Amino acid sequence: MSSETDTMLAIEGLHAGYGRVEVLRGIDLRVGVGEVVTLIGGNGAGKSTLLKAVIGLIPPSAGRVRFLGEDITGIQPERAVKAGLVMVPEGRMLFGPMTVRENLELGAHSRGKTDLTEDYERVFELFPVLADRQDQSASTLSGGEQQMLAVGRALMARPRLLLLDEPSLGLAPKLIGEIFAALDRLRSEGHTILLVEQDARLALRHSDRGYVMRTGGIALAGSADDLLADDDVRLIYLGTWHGGEETT
Amino acid sequence: MHRNVDIKVAVLLGLIGASVFSVPLLTADRYMLRVLTFVGVNVIIVAGMALLFGYAGQVSLGHAAFYGIGAYASAHVVTVFGWPWVAGVAIAIVLTAAGGLLLALPSLRLRGHYLAMATLAFGEIMRVAFVEGKGVTGGPDGLSGIPFPSFLGIEVDSAGGNYWLVWSAAAAVLLIASNLVRSRAGRAMLALHGSEAGAMSCGMDLTGLKVRVFVISAAFAGLAGSLYAHVVGFISPSTFSLHVSVLLVAMAVLGGTRSLAGPVLAAVILTMIPFADAVIPGLSRSAVETIQEWQEDVYGLTIIAVMLFVPGGIAGALRRIAAKGSVR
Repeated sequence: MSSETDTMLAIEGLHAGYGRVEVLRGIDLRVGVGEVVTLIGGNGAGKSTLLKAVIGLIPPSAGRVRFLGEDITGIQPERAVKAGLVMVPEGRMLFGPMTVRENLELGAHSRGKTDLTEDYERVFELFPVLADRQDQSASTLSGGEQQMLAVGRALMARPRLLLLDEPSLGLAPKLIGEIFAALDRLRSEGHTILLVEQDARLALRHSDRGYVMRTGGIALAGSADDLLADDDVRLIYLGTWHGGEETT
Repeated sequence: MHRNVDIKVAVLLGLIGASVFSVPLLTADRYMLRVLTFVGVNVIIVAGMALLFGYAGQVSLGHAAFYGIGAYASAHVVTVFGWPWVAGVAIAIVLTAAGGLLLALPSLRLRGHYLAMATLAFGEIMRVAFVEGKGVTGGPDGLSGIPFPSFLGIEVDSAGGNYWLVWSAAAAVLLIASNLVRSRAGRAMLALHGSEAGAMSCGMDLTGLKVRVFVISAAFAGLAGSLYAHVVGFISPSTFSLHVSVLLVAMAVLGGTRSLAGPVLAAVILTMIPFADAVIPGLSRSAVETIQEWQEDVYGLTIIAVMLFVPGGIAGALRRIAAKGSVR
């Protein structure tokens, strides 16, 4: 099913790390156009490092990254954004003293001087609370609203592939539900998303496919449904401590 | 509402501009005009420091070196080579911009406070060069007999003329800086100050941006150096020491971030402290001498007091006043 779609992102044998510490040891991964793909795995498995290596925040030491057929291995981060690879960084990284609207405006920085009316409308439609808060400074928003703004800001760049790093981090279950409802809408509109998430069960429920990362490699890959049903995945990553809280 | 505020700001700026411009018409006090001219020179450098520190979030501990390079380069080509004054100014700007580029490119590629370290070292190297490079700089004795600015055959030799010249340059520099701040690059600088990772995720070329701002701030300092040399007529290494670099940083910090008006006001205040008698008529000579003797301590105490009692520096205080003035 997935191989029938066009390929958005193709990663082949990717190695990367920090200094001499190699974190990624030969990653193969593919994201098709219009797919939502989740990376799951424990702390330190290399999920965030993989996202950083894809958009050029850390240079890969071996392997290839192809984006829409073009080799973008070791691209400069600002070029990655121009090409349409936009990341919502872990911890949101908003511009605290600036207003919601200014944050959104800066999200479109890579597009140069253009009319953003339509883009604002789309973000406000997705996250109505941001419209009410548009003249408020970002630092006064609640955690959930900040995450919405971080996603909204990334959308302002009109991404072709949206990379989300831990969107549920530190949020109350109700807010996590809102964020993922928004991701579902983006998914239904045909957005392509690569998602890194601690809460594996939640993430897989909102994805087409998933990869399980372990110690810098891909341990398992498959459709979201297969992974949710897989005994090993259930045991290791979907532990019973998740069973109690329904977050969707 | 917004337009109303804009009109108020424009009127205020117009009034300030008019009163700054009219000073030489109202007084012929040479001492006062000289002090205020010197204030204008510092305002030019601080405009660059405000961009660098307050917007791009970088610290330079070597701007006195650019100030010095501008002064010596301009003084040398005009005094020794006999080039016209305008060429001296141009050389000062070009040399300092190039020097800024050479210093910024390697140190801004690295994360962290490498620029501060590099500029500190650069400042010290240049201080030694100013003392030892006797052929160009006149060594510890300095260069004297630097001619007044002159263009179109007119020599600007009066205190009032020099005042107008320096403050016109300061106005031009502030205009360039405020345009830059309002441009896309300015927004990007603010973003960079807010969150580097966030700015990067928005696709901003951070290194390029920081390098550009540093080059501009170096060129401003170079221009100020050239103006200083020709207005004062004498330059020596002590004018361009680390002490001055630190004072410039203090002006930027005291002024507050994300603001041009704050640092400019800070520059005016800190420059005037040792020459308070120029504007406060009744001040006795001994009081001024005491202030000058305790200058460093007065600076230090002023900075501590502002940090403690005026959060956000002068810019923060200005914003609070503006917020009170306009009903939101």
